[in-house]
Amino acid sequence: MKLDVNALGTFYRMAREGAGIAAGRLTRMTGVDTRVGVTKLNFMRGSEIRSDFEDGREKVGVRVELSNGFDGHAMIVFDREGALNVVRTLMAESESESDEFDEFDEMTRSAVTELGQIMNNGFIDGWADVLGTVIDISTPDFIEGTTVDPFFEDLDEAPDEDDLALLFQSRIEAVDTEIGFSHYLFPDHDSMARILERQRADDHEGIEYDKLAGFDRMAKQGAQEVASAATTMTGIETTVNIRRLNFVSLEAIPEEIPPEMLVGVAFEFDGTPSGYLLFLFDEASAEEIVDAMVPTAPDEPFEDEMGKSAIKELGNIMASGFLDGWANVLDTTIDHSTPEFVRDIGSAVIDPVVIQLGENQEFAFVFDTEIQAEGREFDCDIYAIPDEDDLERALNDLDVERVDETPTTADFTDIEEDS
Amino acid sequence: MRTYGSEPGTPTTEPVQVGISEFVVSDQGLTLKAYGLGSCVAVALFDPDATVGALAHVMLPNGDENDSVDLKPGKFADTAIRAMLRRMVEEGADYTSVEAKIAGGSDMFQFESFGDGVGRRNVQAAKDELEKLGVPIVAEDVGGGRGRTVEFDTATGVLTIRTASDDGVEEL
Repeated sequence: MKLDVNALGTFYRMAREGAGIAAGRLTRMTGVDTRVGVTKLNFMRGSEIRSDFEDGREKVGVRVELSNGFDGHAMIVFDREGALNVVRTLMAESESESDEFDEFDEMTRSAVTELGQIMNNGFIDGWADVLGTVIDISTPDFIEGTTVDPFFEDLDEAPDEDDLALLFQSRIEAVDTEIGFSHYLFPDHDSMARILERQRADDHEGIEYDKLAGFDRMAKQGAQEVASAATTMTGIETTVNIRRLNFVSLEAIPEEIPPEMLVGVAFEFDGTPSGYLLFLFDEASAEEIVDAMVPTAPDEPFEDEMGKSAIKELGNIMASGFLDGWANVLDTTIDHSTPEFVRDIGSAVIDPVVIQLGENQEFAFVFDTEIQAEGREFDCDIYAIPDEDDLERALNDLDVERVDETPTTADFTDIEEDS
Repeated sequence: MRTYGSEPGTPTTEPVQVGISEFVVSDQGLTLKAYGLGSCVAVALFDPDATVGALAHVMLPNGDENDSVDLKPGKFADTAIRAMLRRMVEEGADYTSVEAKIAGGSDMFQFESFGDGVGRRNVQAAKDELEKLGVPIVAEDVGGGRGRTVEFDTATGVLTIRTASDDGVEEL
């Protein structure tokens, strides 16, 4: 099975189209305005999906099996509170005392199932449209739980701890109310291979699916190097919190950045692959870091050069670590530019990069990494966006056997998985 | 990000968000808002006589040279401007009365690969297309190294621009 950007683009459009139709139906049903959040194709390991589910909040979901034009399972998952909110909205008109319930009795359960079914159908109709096929849907299963286990039960496509699954993730939010949910598609391997084959551009070789292990390995090595560089430079203990590979349309990258003041350090890198690398800190974290590095720094450190150069220096070391990690896995060399400091609001810090890449590509693989410090402000989001053709070449040259043997210095993912 | 269910004409206090690669046309006096423009460009068109306005949040200069335009005309300066004009005329605007205001197109990074600047290229493309169509640019706040958030009041044609610096509010 080979992946190519054209085919992944089709999957991406499926996810986006499906989310739009589902959002429209939710609006019609509840009368609440809805907004489609960022849609992503994630390459996620089973362990990451697990930690997504196990955030301490109870979950309820509605799962269906797909067949005919597309095989797999689709699942809509709400926070339990969120589901109750929807049901309250739905029943508010017919039942005056509906605010009182907070248990899943037969009626709420069937209301959630109906809701889930309508949303699932919305998504699936969107996918069928994009694929130009008919997809059959089984009767829905209602699932509740605090871990991923009941949701994954009897699911052949569910990824094991270290398996990398291609996952559609969409979020729909209701405007001004707390209804949010995630939608997952676990495609059947063969079914997906067929579609990938059909959608693949003729002039594109594509990436062998097994080489995705290389992606994951790159992300892992890069993140580890950054965390240890950050700890060395600042003396603040840091850990890799999230590490994820997304395939998104370029526009989705700036959309995801919150509209708040951000401090960042950006690089262009050149080699196999080339691309752009950005470290983004919220302002409080950036100030804390400068404080740790330069105790004599003024209160508003970014008004003068001292704070800027401290952050740039840190960025430079983190970038070297990150890209060395990649080069190590890919067995190539990657050079990077001098750091560029940026302090601005939200998406403005990243859109120049997206625009530059947008001249030649519509989608991008984004290595999305978040580093956190225990008990202190140190939140850093890392966006590594390689040039598409370069990345494809680098991965195809990759010897997967060698990847498995590449030694790692420390294993931060274990911390994430055990917690 | 697109909102589902907002009926046109519903009185609203919240500005309507115009996401990257999108445009919104309004003959209802809505306030349209584009957050965090770096090198992106906001193109606001307004017919003061018919009170029809539109705002685009464009990402790339040239759609005519790109094969994916059919999907999202709002993504490119040239195709977005043409699509907005067409929609505005459908909503009752007079082509010859439409005026333009543009903002954005900063260049915050000096990377080698960026050439003469991605923001600059976007601004130039917007200006070229407006000139080609004979739409006068009555005000602009473009270039530089800071991001901008713009709010366009389609009842008055006022374009409000905020930057990250403390004194950063400007009306065009």
